[in-house]
Amino acid sequence: MGPVFFGVRHLSPNAAFQLRRALDRAKPELVLVEGPSDLDSEMHWLSHAETRFPAAILAYTNEAPVRTILYPFAIYSPEVQAILWAAEHGVPCRFMDLPSGVFLAMEQPSYTENPDDGADGRQDGDSGQLSTESVYQKLETLTGEDHDTFWERRFEQLADGYDEAAEAFGGELRASAADSKRRTAEMLVREAFMRKTIEEAVQGGVPAERIFCVCGAFHVEGLKNGPVMTSEEEAKLPRADASATLMPYSYYRLSSRSGYGAGNKAPEYYHLLWKALNGGGAADAPYLYLTKLADAHRKAGNIVSSAEVIEAVRLAKTLASMRGSGIPCLADLRDAAVTAMGHGHFSELAAAAAQVEIGVRIGALPDGASHTSIQEDFYRQVKNLRLDKYRTAVAQRLDLDLREKLTVRSEEAALGDLRRSFFLHRLRILGVHFAAQLPSKQQGANWGEYWELRWTPECEIEVVESSLLGDTVEGAAAFALKERADGAADIAAAASIFLDAFLAGMPAAAAHALSVLQGLSVDAAALSQVAATAEQLSAAVRYGDLRRFDPAPILPLLEQLYLRACLTMADACVCDTAAAAAVTEAMGKINTLQLNHDFLDAGRWTVLLQDISDRDDLNTRCSGYATSILLERGEMDEELLAREVARRLSPGVPADLGAGWFEGLASRNRYALIARLSLWRQLSGYLDGLDDLAFRRALVFLRRAFADFSPSEKNDIAENLAEIWGVNKLQAAEVLMQAPTEEEQAVLESLDEFDFDDI
Amino acid sequence: MAEKKVQRLPAEALFAKELEALIAAETDPIPTGWRMSPKSVLTYITGGTKVKGVEITPKYMGNRRLVEIAIATLVTDRALLLIGEPGTAKSWLSEHLAAAVNGDSTKVVQGTAGTTEEQIRYSWNYAMLIARGPSPEAMVKSPVYRAMETGSVARVEEISRCASEVQDALISILSEKRLSVPELGVELPAEKGFSVIATANTRDKGVNDMSAALKRRFNIVVLPTPSDIATEMEIVKTRVSQLSENLDLNAAQPDAGTVEQVVTIFRELRGGVTLDGKQKLKTTSGVLSTAEAISLLANSMALAGSFGDGRVSDGDLAAALQGAVVKDEDKDKVSWKEYLENVMKKRGSAWLPLYKACRELNG
Repeated sequence: MGPVFFGVRHLSPNAAFQLRRALDRAKPELVLVEGPSDLDSEMHWLSHAETRFPAAILAYTNEAPVRTILYPFAIYSPEVQAILWAAEHGVPCRFMDLPSGVFLAMEQPSYTENPDDGADGRQDGDSGQLSTESVYQKLETLTGEDHDTFWERRFEQLADGYDEAAEAFGGELRASAADSKRRTAEMLVREAFMRKTIEEAVQGGVPAERIFCVCGAFHVEGLKNGPVMTSEEEAKLPRADASATLMPYSYYRLSSRSGYGAGNKAPEYYHLLWKALNGGGAADAPYLYLTKLADAHRKAGNIVSSAEVIEAVRLAKTLASMRGSGIPCLADLRDAAVTAMGHGHFSELAAAAAQVEIGVRIGALPDGASHTSIQEDFYRQVKNLRLDKYRTAVAQRLDLDLREKLTVRSEEAALGDLRRSFFLHRLRILGVHFAAQLPSKQQGANWGEYWELRWTPECEIEVVESSLLGDTVEGAAAFALKERADGAADIAAAASIFLDAFLAGMPAAAAHALSVLQGLSVDAAALSQVAATAEQLSAAVRYGDLRRFDPAPILPLLEQLYLRACLTMADACVCDTAAAAAVTEAMGKINTLQLNHDFLDAGRWTVLLQDISDRDDLNTRCSGYATSILLERGEMDEELLAREVARRLSPGVPADLGAGWFEGLASRNRYALIARLSLWRQLSGYLDGLDDLAFRRALVFLRRAFADFSPSEKNDIAENLAEIWGVNKLQAAEVLMQAPTEEEQAVLESLDEFDFDDI
Repeated sequence: MAEKKVQRLPAEALFAKELEALIAAETDPIPTGWRMSPKSVLTYITGGTKVKGVEITPKYMGNRRLVEIAIATLVTDRALLLIGEPGTAKSWLSEHLAAAVNGDSTKVVQGTAGTTEEQIRYSWNYAMLIARGPSPEAMVKSPVYRAMETGSVARVEEISRCASEVQDALISILSEKRLSVPELGVELPAEKGFSVIATANTRDKGVNDMSAALKRRFNIVVLPTPSDIATEMEIVKTRVSQLSENLDLNAAQPDAGTVEQVVTIFRELRGGVTLDGKQKLKTTSGVLSTAEAISLLANSMALAGSFGDGRVSDGDLAAALQGAVVKDEDKDKVSWKEYLENVMKKRGSAWLPLYKACRELNG
């Protein structure tokens, strides 16, 4: 007699339930489960008392690019129940499939594309056979139901003879379907290997009939009659250097992407089936589902009467019997609920259905179950930094105060928030989506950081994937930054990498980014880019001590950038009106930079500004802006300003140039301008001297120059002008308050059609 | 035969052969009061097979599952409410369900603003009432009353157009399944098999919105507009050929291209976007339902058969389209013209004749 084979569908509650019964009957001496045979060590964790399902085994290559295979398990996975049964009864249990490294190697593109292998040649055409998928499709057209529903109706509700039914189905599927040559070959290799494992167990002294094998229903026939792999053949298998780890999983993830190609769209529903099977039997499931659904719908603030639930149960049962099954399946239940409770619209029940069908269950593993050193480092730091309470599926706010706390004794506690900030920034760099930074609401200070933390199983995977980059979170982040810095193409990219390193408290990585930045800044860079980069570096210098960052290495670079900006500024001012805005912005940034850092040569800057202010061949807005900075810095006296205004606003100068200059002048430091009566006297004089047509031209441009002044600023200007024209304040205010007369309105409207010639 | 002169036969007469074949071939258990098993009803509605050599034509093309739910509802003796946009085959489906279940689809109450409570319950032959006093003979039974007596299906069309007191009259009938006649001192219990199929229009929402109490007594099935152009074309083709047989239209069936053009125009204007999803369109006020497309094509065939050469010309089609798309509003005319210029004109040579014909009508 050969071993007992129990064919299952992965993630099938009834398979799990029937499997346990079969195990109780067979009382085997050894249980073999389809799963990577090098990962037997994980079994101990899967059957650990503190393990909460869903969980998954993740195998990954140790070299980039990381390829991964995932084996997800829920409590209703037959594999899990086999492992648990074995642990409960003290029976040895092992995985019997190919090692994970072989799987990963076979997935490799270079391996699959090997032409000798005859890969990718779908057999559909030449032999007339169908692929497994198209058999499923055919089944769907034949039964008019999707494959999950078909399976649920035929197998999930089967009280007896599950294994025979599954085996027969698997066998039929095998006979009528053939996948691509490569997939078929892969399957044969797997089965030969599994047979070899069984053979070895028999040679190891376990009687064949006392071995219990749990495998996909599809494989039963291959395992019963297929060839056994020899040791030489096994040695020839490709192998990738791989590691594996156990990780928590979630039902949400299980429903959205399932391994094995066996769909599990409604894990919470299957969980409910599993509970029903172990409680009052499969016939309870419809009642459980519909009452839970009604409950969830009620909790969302809707009204569901018990009568509607009763009608839904009755309708579901009728629907099931029309399909020839005794117990309604999920499709029947859902349709019945929509008809009797949702007024015919699924959208009404969608939220409740998501809760009852997919759910929010997340697994948990005992400490020590995760294996990569980066995971260990991650969990140690999470614990040390007291972030463990944020490791939940619900998003939580975390507000950090980076300042040193003077009230606590140990240095560690005093800088606790800063260390948390470093840690979260490092995770951000690694692409671990545990924490998302929220925009700061602080003005004029930056010691506050606001985060939103949410733990998902994806985070775990992302942490595991980071293990390729280094053994600790910091080491991996440093490596990631270095790679990014080496690939940076312009100084803006390099600066943002520097900033990341700065925020994550990694001076060495920051220094590397700076050297890259320095190299790139030698090449030509646009003025605005230089200014923006300098601004970022300046922030790091000024606030560096908050993050315990030594600014010394930045200073020379800052000087270089400053010099470069000064040298290119004058040329950049030869530009059109559209580009002038960017130039003036850069000019403002460099000015702030110089004011913030004494070591930057102030003399060079004022000389440059004076030059720009004086020259007539530059964009007048830039010149005006330079003048305004000079005024602000106290480098231009009243007399000089008067002369400059007179020169710029003389009647001979085209109105657009004059007004453009004024616009530049007025874009900074408005209060100082408004307070200078002499300026307005000159403006008034200029306007008086214009002839009618020139006045109208000037008016249009001046209107634009004043457009972004606030109403109160405009009022102040009007009062200034009133004083010059000898009108008193009250009279002026009265004129301003009046709505424009029709005549005035007409004049204003005529300006709209003003002919700008070729401007 | 006298029947020949009837303009429109009820479904059970029109498809009598199919129904007989299905009844003869019945193997599954039959619910009380029904003529065939639920499965056979489903076969009758969705069609596409041969039973005892009789081709069962599809009556409802669309989501088979919805039909299943509708039938299952009737099995559980719950009332069924079909709702949907105008022209989504609500009444059509309800008629065929009644025909298959009871062989009688004529117990209909047409819901209108003028429908009274008596039309749901019963009224009197007043001459007889005055002459002889209340007696069973003087009573005029409503279709619902008769359905309760015989244990069959009554239909209520356009229930949301009835005043609320009329709708309320249904509540007690549906929950108690009895109807009391105080004048005669009797109470009529509904026989097994009694049920109600009501239809309601989503466009009329708010005219007389149904009360929650009444809604609760119905299982509600929403009939969608056909999900894709192929299904809709299939529906239009089948129905047009059935209609033209009935009406002796003496015109050739419109070819596939013509049907496709009409269905495309309808779907695009209905959805407010071109079929490739690239261009947004103005929708029109008219209901461009599948039913409308069917009658549009039948009209063009009538025009062609009576005044033309028996082939649906682009001119006929353009005239019919104009009437269907442009209802009384100026806005529709603008939308239609925009559609002609922005979409139809750019569709290439196959569409050119139709475009020209439409263009002519719009100056």
